[in-house]
Amino acid sequence: MERLIVVVAVLPLISALFIQLFAGRFGRGVAQFSVAMTTLSFLLSSLLLALALMGSESQALPLGNSTTILLFDPLSTLLATIILGISLIVHLYSVRYMAEEAGYGQFFVLLDMMTAALLFMVIAGDLITLVISWYLVGVILYFLLGQDTRSQTAYRFAFWTLITYRIGDLPLILAAALLFNAYDTWSLTIIFNEIMANPDAHLVMGLSLTDVVAALIGFAAFARSAQFLLHTWLPYTMDGPTPVSALMHAGIVNAGGFLINRFAPVFIHSSEVLHWIFIVGLITAIFGSLLMLTQNDIKKALGYSTMGQMGFMIMECGIGAFSLAIYHMFAHGVFKGTMFLSAGSVINHARHDDGIPKDELYTFAVEKQPNKVSHPWLLMAAVTLAVPLVILVFAHLLVAEDYFQKQGAIVLLFFGWVTGAQLIFATYRMRSQNVWRLVGLSILSLLVVVLGYVFISHAFDLFLYPDPAFRAQLYSAANIDLFSFDVLVAIVTLVVISGWGVTYFREQHGHRRPQESKRLWLNFYALISREFYVSDVYTRLSRALLTISSRLNVWLRWL
Amino acid sequence: MPELFNILLVSIFLPLFPMSMVFNAVLENVKPNWLRVLLFILWPLMGLLIALNNNLVIPDWVLPLALSTSFLYAIRMLTLREVNQWTGFLAISIWSLLWLPIIQGSSAELMYGFALGMSLPLVLLVLLSAGLEQRFGAAYTGLYGGLARTIPRYAGVLVTVVVAAVATPLFPTFFFMLDMVVETVSSKPLAAVVLLLIWLFWSWAGTRLTQGLIVGRGSNNNIADMDITSMYFYSIVLIVLMVGGIYLGGTIL
Repeated sequence: MERLIVVVAVLPLISALFIQLFAGRFGRGVAQFSVAMTTLSFLLSSLLLALALMGSESQALPLGNSTTILLFDPLSTLLATIILGISLIVHLYSVRYMAEEAGYGQFFVLLDMMTAALLFMVIAGDLITLVISWYLVGVILYFLLGQDTRSQTAYRFAFWTLITYRIGDLPLILAAALLFNAYDTWSLTIIFNEIMANPDAHLVMGLSLTDVVAALIGFAAFARSAQFLLHTWLPYTMDGPTPVSALMHAGIVNAGGFLINRFAPVFIHSSEVLHWIFIVGLITAIFGSLLMLTQNDIKKALGYSTMGQMGFMIMECGIGAFSLAIYHMFAHGVFKGTMFLSAGSVINHARHDDGIPKDELYTFAVEKQPNKVSHPWLLMAAVTLAVPLVILVFAHLLVAEDYFQKQGAIVLLFFGWVTGAQLIFATYRMRSQNVWRLVGLSILSLLVVVLGYVFISHAFDLFLYPDPAFRAQLYSAANIDLFSFDVLVAIVTLVVISGWGVTYFREQHGHRRPQESKRLWLNFYALISREFYVSDVYTRLSRALLTISSRLNVWLRWL
Repeated sequence: MPELFNILLVSIFLPLFPMSMVFNAVLENVKPNWLRVLLFILWPLMGLLIALNNNLVIPDWVLPLALSTSFLYAIRMLTLREVNQWTGFLAISIWSLLWLPIIQGSSAELMYGFALGMSLPLVLLVLLSAGLEQRFGAAYTGLYGGLARTIPRYAGVLVTVVVAAVATPLFPTFFFMLDMVVETVSSKPLAAVVLLLIWLFWSWAGTRLTQGLIVGRGSNNNIADMDITSMYFYSIVLIVLMVGGIYLGGTIL
């Protein structure tokens, strides 16, 4: 039964081949065939996921005598089902959405090939299949983004995507080569077993192999998941068809989180890499969110929103919450996919009604005018800070009593608390006839979300990493010494509370800024409006390289 | 002395800069297509034949020079616009890397297999370039563009051939590059990094070449697209290359 996973991955390939060969004969009817094959593949993968949920043993399934191995395990079945679910929705949406576009059949060929490449990526049980599918995802995405062959802009940004993905391929290839040299096999299962048995058996240039491989895998994940400095392609690739944007933001960009999860046995034996991953994720989350808030183009704002979310996902890996990253990937995928696919309806609606409420929230957010607060501020601040903390602590105590022994979990708790507090604070500021009712509802929704998140993330933890010792190792690999941890928590708490303090102070004393502060604010605004000059630097660098190339050709002529 | 002479002779066929000028000069002056096809097939095979039959002892300076040559031509490809010359530069960049398996003492059959597997996409590119010259008077990227609209079948084949030539899975050049990285990463990590950069530049150059040809609104002129028979010919060769790539990949990896 587990061997069905091969069929799951091959069905989209068969569909692509069929459409390529018979698009001329069946015309636009080929789309129905593609949808049917994706549906069948989705049903089969759901069946396999059910098997995995019922406790079927993980298996490595070799294909004949070749080096190709496919994995049937919780991670592969879960992700295959998610990919096929999103792909099916995108297929259904595209049947009518792409009907007027040139290259209709070719679009479905590419869509099926992309689905197959993603499936092979998540079920790969050997390094070669993983490298090949990882590489092909970038190539196929390039052609999907360039579906409109008339558009130079679409191709320009598709090229940015391709080159970033290619840069991300290189560390994965290096990691694969190093692992093969060390263990003389391409099989992931054998390599991971060897690493678990003896993690420090190999050195590379005096460094631990696990550290080097973990760093390389992390770098490959950064490029694929648009982490800061490798993110510029994501907000700009909006000229591709909407279904491709949906697929990209809901599925493809999450590959970094998958890769880190797949190499979890390597990461638990690496010393500092998870901390670096956390820092990169944190920076990405902050920069992505900051840039999202300052965009006036809704599509770019969505792109930066995805970047911020990817930062959170990578950050979760950095604190050892690997399974939570997978849950985040799934939840964000569904959410962002829905947003992209409904973008057309929203734009249509906005043509009739701009939807901007001219109320207190509008004047506060857009016109920067403080609202009059009539309720006791200190009481509200106490409610705002205390309620999320109480909900989070109790929810976690219900799931795991030793919760406070895990630093990673405390970091999540902290983020949950800050987010919850901000939610209640923002809700409290909104105009309502009965503000207590509104705050009550927001607390209730927070309770539902937190309980949902805690139980679901716990369920993901049990499903993906059933071995409690392995789960404990994941968290302990992300731990830092207690003193540094306490200092960091104290600093971040101070920053958050100062932010609230500044907001309170400004509310009480209006918006008068000293001249110096205004200049600083304007410089900061310029920096953000140029998106921290990252794209400009890359453009300069690539132009310099092209100039060198062209000078070399002039000097050497045909030599 | 005869050893050095042999190495110099081989460095013409498995080009090492500046001996690479010989191939460029020959390519520049050979006009008939069938002769160009022969040139692309036989040139690296000649190099391998001489190198393997003379049991050359390869000096240490050959590896850095081979990598530098490949790197140099990979960079030069980025801004080259003439398709034929671009193909010639890619050929030099690929063939110079054949020194690596010679240095490592790989089996002769494999080397011949790879030399042929990596040259065949270049042969297809030469034929496609000739087709463009016939239709537009010149095979230049960025000159006319819009081939995906004007001659979609031709554009599709052209893109696939370029994809095959720049070491994309599952074509032979991909497995060759993967094997070379595996062979060098532990003993000569710097060489592995240079190999990966060369690989990256191939992709970059290939993308620039195809974008300049296929993207755009296209002309309204009535230009003949590729006929079905030719399309099947190219498709079959590409499938054979893919199968060959998987076979060669399975043998070495």
